[in-house]
Amino acid sequence: MSLQTPRILPSHLHAFHSSSTSGPRSSHTVRILGTVTALRGDTATITCGNNGDVTLILKPDSHLQMGKLVEIVGKVADLEGGGVGIRVLGSMDWGNPADCDYKIYEQVVNATHRLKPIFYDE
Amino acid sequence: MPGEMNSPSGGKTDYTNATLRPITIKQALDAMQPYPEAPYQIDSAEVASVTFIGQVRNISSQSTNVTYKLDDGTGEIEAKQWIDSMTADSMDTDDPNNSTSNNKNQVELNGYARVFGKLKSFGNKRFVGAHCVRPVKDINELHCHLLEASAVHLFFTRGPSNAQSGAGAEGGGMKGGDSTMGGVGAAGDDYGAGKGLPAMSPVAKRVYHLLKTEPQSNEGLHAQLIAAKLSLPMPDVARAGDELLTAGVIFSTVDEHTWAILEF
Repeated sequence: MSLQTPRILPSHLHAFHSSSTSGPRSSHTVRILGTVTALRGDTATITCGNNGDVTLILKPDSHLQMGKLVEIVGKVADLEGGGVGIRVLGSMDWGNPADCDYKIYEQVVNATHRLKPIFYDE
Repeated sequence: MPGEMNSPSGGKTDYTNATLRPITIKQALDAMQPYPEAPYQIDSAEVASVTFIGQVRNISSQSTNVTYKLDDGTGEIEAKQWIDSMTADSMDTDDPNNSTSNNKNQVELNGYARVFGKLKSFGNKRFVGAHCVRPVKDINELHCHLLEASAVHLFFTRGPSNAQSGAGAEGGGMKGGDSTMGGVGAAGDDYGAGKGLPAMSPVAKRVYHLLKTEPQSNEGLHAQLIAAKLSLPMPDVARAGDELLTAGVIFSTVDEHTWAILEF
């Protein structure tokens, strides 16, 4: 079976954490969409609409740009200062955040997690 | 009689089904064939052409075809587009050879692309024979596609939404997995969510709905008439009838192929 990367919002991070025992999730690789609001060398922050921020642990060749909308594929990981973030595996630049209706993404996340048979294995 | 079209001897080229269905890659991988060489089915509905959007993970160009590996977060599948030398220098903008004039229409590695095509398999490997592969530049199109695929899936598993239950199906109505589709409907709707209607095939639901809504005498409707009204092959209607009879929601009246709704 190929690798699945569920689309999530910041509030779902804990459910995909490796320590999470709620649910038999084998992979902790997720997809998330947000606007780059801070870049600090090897970490960055994305803001996910009105759903809060997520800290990213970057890899040397991730080229994120301030103010751009990015889709991140990554693994949920513990941060050094505590809390959970995402270790970036890949990123996709979607350009200007104003061109995306984040409400639609929220609905997509909602639908994809309700309709498991067509999106994700349990 | 449309029934003859679907018989095994009819082969798999059924030109009467010219639908284009939006799907996820997981659905493409999970699609079933009722018998070898049969048309693929998703949610028990035959699929002709499909369309999906995925991130391009690999492009491999050969002299006769271009193979794209696509990933949409639900799975991974290959789409094979044959290069037609006759159209290679025409106005076909999605042609991968045509990169000289139109870089805008070039599918990029790790970019998103929309594929239109038909499900195929070679050996045990499922792939999509692509008619057209084009890049997706607007993220809203991706999100819209996923919601559209959800809506079509719900249409086939729970029936069409009407004004009231439509709102329910989009929002709070769909709790948990849809395998429990029989149990969730609370709206005053006899069809989609199925008040008291146990989980059953989409065809059975359509037959039930017709029996419920069609003007009829107390003898009910004959299976032939139902088949004609729903443009379904007779064997499918008979099977749906058996299902509904077993579930005890209809009963046979003057003969075994005339059914009416069992109301109590």
